[in-house]
Amino acid sequence: MAAPAVHQARSSKTESYVDNKRKDDIRQANIFAARAVADAVRTSLGPKGMDKMISTASGEVIITNDGATILNKMEVLQPAAKMLVELSKSQDIVAGDGTTTVVVIAGALLKQCLTLLNAGIHPTVISDSLHKVALKAFDVLSAMAIPVELSDRESLVKSASTALNSKVVSQYSTLLAPLAVDAVLSVVDPAKPDLVDLRDVKIVKKLGGTVDDTELVKGLVFDKKVSHSAGGPTRVENAKIAVIQFQISPPKTDIEQSIVVSDYTQMDRILKEERNYILGIIKKIKATGCNVLLIQKSILRDAVTDLSLHYLAKAKILVIKDVERDEIEFITKTLNCLPIANIEHFRAEKLGYADCVEEVSLGDGKIVKITGIKDMGRTTTVLVRGSNQLVLDEAERSLHDALCVVRCLVNKKFLIAGGGAPEIELSRQLGAWAKVLQGMESYCVRSFAEALEVIPYTLAENAGLNPIAIVTELRNRHAQGEINAGINVRKGQITNILEENVVQPLLVSTSAISLATECVRMILKIDDIVTVR
Amino acid sequence: MAVEKLLKDEATEEKGERAKMALFVGAMAIADLVKTTLGPKGMDKILQSTGRGRSVTVTNDGATILKSLHIDNPAAKVLVDISKVQDDEVGDGTTSVVVLAGELLREAEKLVASKIHPMTIISGYRMAAECARNALLKKVMDNKEDAEKFKSDLMKIAMTTLSSKILSQDKDHFAKLAVDAVLRLKGSTNLESIQIIKKPGGSLTDSFLDEGFILDKKIGIGQPKRIENAKILVANTAMDTDKVKIYGARVRVDSMSRVAQIEGAEKEKMKEKVQKIIAHGINCFVNRQLIYNFPEELFADAGILAIEHADFDGIERLALVTGGEIASTFDNPESVKLGHCKLIEEIMIGEDKLIHFSGVALGEACTIVLRGASFHVLDEAERSLHDALCVLSQTVGDSRVLFGGGWPEMVMAKEVDELARRTPGKRSHAIEAFSRALQAIPTTIADNAGLDSAELISHLRAEHHRDGSAAGIDVISGTVGDMGKLGISESFKVKQAVLLSATEAAEMILRVDQIITCAPRRREDHM
Repeated sequence: MAAPAVHQARSSKTESYVDNKRKDDIRQANIFAARAVADAVRTSLGPKGMDKMISTASGEVIITNDGATILNKMEVLQPAAKMLVELSKSQDIVAGDGTTTVVVIAGALLKQCLTLLNAGIHPTVISDSLHKVALKAFDVLSAMAIPVELSDRESLVKSASTALNSKVVSQYSTLLAPLAVDAVLSVVDPAKPDLVDLRDVKIVKKLGGTVDDTELVKGLVFDKKVSHSAGGPTRVENAKIAVIQFQISPPKTDIEQSIVVSDYTQMDRILKEERNYILGIIKKIKATGCNVLLIQKSILRDAVTDLSLHYLAKAKILVIKDVERDEIEFITKTLNCLPIANIEHFRAEKLGYADCVEEVSLGDGKIVKITGIKDMGRTTTVLVRGSNQLVLDEAERSLHDALCVVRCLVNKKFLIAGGGAPEIELSRQLGAWAKVLQGMESYCVRSFAEALEVIPYTLAENAGLNPIAIVTELRNRHAQGEINAGINVRKGQITNILEENVVQPLLVSTSAISLATECVRMILKIDDIVTVR
Repeated sequence: MAVEKLLKDEATEEKGERAKMALFVGAMAIADLVKTTLGPKGMDKILQSTGRGRSVTVTNDGATILKSLHIDNPAAKVLVDISKVQDDEVGDGTTSVVVLAGELLREAEKLVASKIHPMTIISGYRMAAECARNALLKKVMDNKEDAEKFKSDLMKIAMTTLSSKILSQDKDHFAKLAVDAVLRLKGSTNLESIQIIKKPGGSLTDSFLDEGFILDKKIGIGQPKRIENAKILVANTAMDTDKVKIYGARVRVDSMSRVAQIEGAEKEKMKEKVQKIIAHGINCFVNRQLIYNFPEELFADAGILAIEHADFDGIERLALVTGGEIASTFDNPESVKLGHCKLIEEIMIGEDKLIHFSGVALGEACTIVLRGASFHVLDEAERSLHDALCVLSQTVGDSRVLFGGGWPEMVMAKEVDELARRTPGKRSHAIEAFSRALQAIPTTIADNAGLDSAELISHLRAEHHRDGSAAGIDVISGTVGDMGKLGISESFKVKQAVLLSATEAAEMILRVDQIITCAPRRREDHM
């Protein structure tokens, strides 16, 4: 190709961007809407963040500090705003924590984007620089991270309690944090040390008591009563447990059926037959030595009748009825037994064994605990208590966050400082990096570096500190090489945040940055909203 | 005297000038709508559905945008159709075809305004299209003989296709995924055996290609989680009970024990059915319908892996890739074709457990697992990847390739221009117009990237004046660049389809001189 032509072409190269009015309007409208969402959750960031009360369409009231939950219940309609809600959900899936952070970062980035767009920079240039920022940020964060071992229980507890500190239940973090760590560690399969399935941790909520009474149960807990009619046992030691998927009630065929009774002697006979039929089933059950029965809920017919309960009580079998079908897998995994779908298959080898099955009263309700399970599967149950429904729900959400944090550490065994330290360090390093870059990119990267300061700024603001003074000092300290200096909200000053035990998993920070940039890039690229069917 | 009313009430009729006007305006409006999505720096659109859920789609794919529009204008509908056909036939170039057709009509409108008959325009367009096609044919490159080069061609095409999509940042990664997947097909264009699974979480770079087949289902309780040398029976049968499907069938009995007997008999029937299935000598049973607890337990006892409620698409594909057939009766085990695979195991992607069939009978089958931040990203990624796969599979069939970046359009425009000079008569105006319409594509690409299009196109034209130039628009640096060095390639088949179907659509619309809109069909009032 002719060289002069290239030269000339380059001189005419303009990245300035003049688009027609409508497109700018839509982009601005999108950015404004998305920022409105970010502003809505901003105040809930950090240990001194405030909670939101949401009253849903069905009249239910929720008080929460969890970004994902707030956004989920907000029911936004604007498409760009919806994308931010999705963003928060994704962070919830990936890391489980940092759902507010990710939205706040996206909001700050969008704010900078607006300034850049107004300066006439083409959206794709901004988008490309954002991608580079995300990659660079990943490197910077990884360089800051401290490796952690799963055996180092203390570090795990520290990071779990950082996650809990911003929640309603923060005063219980000394109790909940170790609990979350133990729960997750107990389900880690030594064969696959990087994977944790949080479905193996079951959370059972029970109203009454305080959050203090929350406990980790090595075994199973049912939020159900034992069937009491006819005075069956409520406590069984050396239990032999059967999980059944058939019904102990008078037979019913799939074809419609009716019994024709022509005289009263027949009535007696039918009653007797019904009794014998049920008795037959129960005898077979008893014959295997089973003394605890978990019965799956049935929609086709009654799972148990009063009559069968009566006989089961006589046979000293403890009955828990109405077990949901989707719980069966968890139960069988925990009890190390097999579900039984037909009375003919009721055999001793399909039973599970436990030291003790008992009904415990808690406040006004009752629960059933199964403990001391023989050959227990890798599952665990956490029983959450709380004085009212709102606290209980929030405690569950907080616990879920804490569990996720520990899971993140299992997936990726690195910790990073909290308290705004990583963000300010990122901001500093990106700012330095921007100076090396050339052209529009450098300009964009510098703006994004500034945008990241929003996290420490908001942290300070929410804690009632002077944000400008704090952020300036923080920047100063980082410039002097104290990469772990962060905002100590309790003391209201800048300290080495690692010494204060404020740590979080690396995965939370990296995924927050990468997801936020991905979302912002998507919003930037949109130039029209088309209404379709 | 007035003619008796010809048309029904509410039916409208537009003639001559007005009809032409309506068609041109409609077609151009559609072309302008998708114009901004063209090229590597094209923008996306939000599609907001007015239906239930107000679901939101973010996309860059012309066909997807046009498919979901409410359109009343007949000319616009024609353009939507050609975009759809382009999507079905070659999978990519859905935006280009609409933009080109729109430009052709825009030029035609000017010609019509200067009193040239539409038929003259049409015949000019035809000549021009033929000439343009020949120009491309002369310039095509075919590397079919050289496997190494051919693969690099495919990579380039995939990268070019993906660079205008959401995957552009990770295009190396995805281009490799797509090329690997298509090469596995060994020349067949059956994209059915490439399965795409979307799982939110992780980032786009975590997406991967896996040989075999992945089914998004759970293994029944207490059944083996891992099977080697699996024999699979794929079925569509009721595994609750074989109900008597006669209305009002009921059983009359006179005692409870009889009911129990019937219940027992029903169970027995089920058991028999399960026994028959087991008698096929299988160790994996996949059913489209539910499997109830009782048969599930029987299967577990027999050590058979039973998967219930696999969706229709899932089992058809499974049957295809494992080489089995979908069975619904089990009386003749010898006539049922079983599927085979080397290993079935449970794998975990993100938070979900899936079932992985590896070493399947149909060797070309593979699965691409897409990961991404949200469903919007994933859906768009799937569409982009689908485009790339389509183009690649077409290219494997017809290995001729061209440069991209506005190069083919400029080559065509040059030839067409020369033709215009040689052609006497009014037709030459139409031919000239055709060349201008072709140049609109590089112009749009440059405009979308925020570049000075007038300047760039004139440079480009000057470059192309020399023979054998490979100059095109390098959007990244904003200059005229050598497409060969930059590795920007497109499939000949796509370009040809764009050219021909856009010309045909424009021709069709030009021929119209009257629009008759029928009266909308009324809903019957039942009251």
